[in-house]
Amino acid sequence: MKNDNNLTLFERYLNKEIGIEFKACLYFFAILFFYCVNRMINGDYSAEILHMAEMIFGCYIMGYIQVFFFNNFDESDKMGPLEWTGLGICTLLYCLVSYFGGWFDKKLSVTLCFAAYVIFTYICAYLIYKFKRKVDDKILNKELELFKENHKKVNDNGE
Amino acid sequence: MKIDIKKTDGEEEKVVVRYSRMTPLIKRIIDVLSDEGGKIWGKADGETVSILTGDILYVESVDDKTFAYTNDKIVRIEETLNSFIDSISDDSFFRCSKSMIINVNHVVSLKSLSSNRIDATIEGGEHIIISRRYASEFRRLLRGDR
Repeated sequence: MKNDNNLTLFERYLNKEIGIEFKACLYFFAILFFYCVNRMINGDYSAEILHMAEMIFGCYIMGYIQVFFFNNFDESDKMGPLEWTGLGICTLLYCLVSYFGGWFDKKLSVTLCFAAYVIFTYICAYLIYKFKRKVDDKILNKELELFKENHKKVNDNGE
Repeated sequence: MKIDIKKTDGEEEKVVVRYSRMTPLIKRIIDVLSDEGGKIWGKADGETVSILTGDILYVESVDDKTFAYTNDKIVRIEETLNSFIDSISDDSFFRCSKSMIINVNHVVSLKSLSSNRIDATIEGGEHIIISRRYASEFRRLLRGDR
């Protein structure tokens, strides 16, 4: 193989950035869903743009914290102490932003439900990524077997 | 390189190779002529030994020294990782990290890891991580898209 796969610094940054933005979108929609359900339960059928802006920026910053400080825990291979700490801290930060941003009218009970929901979302994301990797394992091993078979055929024909 | 080809009438066929420096190309020509295309020479336990390239599990560079690992031997070879992969015509050798080349034919199983890395289990149970930087190229190799 020739060294033609060297990525430039910008490409590497872009690669990471896209991952973080994808993460921000994923959690933004999950949080927005909880927010909207809570509003509807309270008979309010509108969502505040300011709250949504806080959510998306919060998710974006949280994405950076996850990736750079806590081993990108929702995509990690296993949940160790660092990953659980990251999950706890990110949940706490979301709760603080939601509380002081007044997303749930500073109701402590709803904020606690929100904390449980964020933890649930993180665990779901972790399990989904894990399942995705399991499927990927099967594909990779199948392709490996095919590669070996083809390589053997080419060698046998060459002899 | 100057090439001089002459047709002979009934004389014994002969190829003379003259070189000032042994380059991978010259070495390849000699390998083809001496029908040793699948062999590589190196040192193991102070002795010069040859191993079949097909037997190599992986090649590793440690402190500017290059080692080829087979099931039962560790052979120090003179080439660098770059010159090794350039000189070898076998597609099953793949550069999987800055310091390592694996022989895909000796990979027993693969495991997808986080951050798009791949864990390759080699014969003998050793695990080699294919870094994120090389994983996409590795997937293309397996699919035959390279």
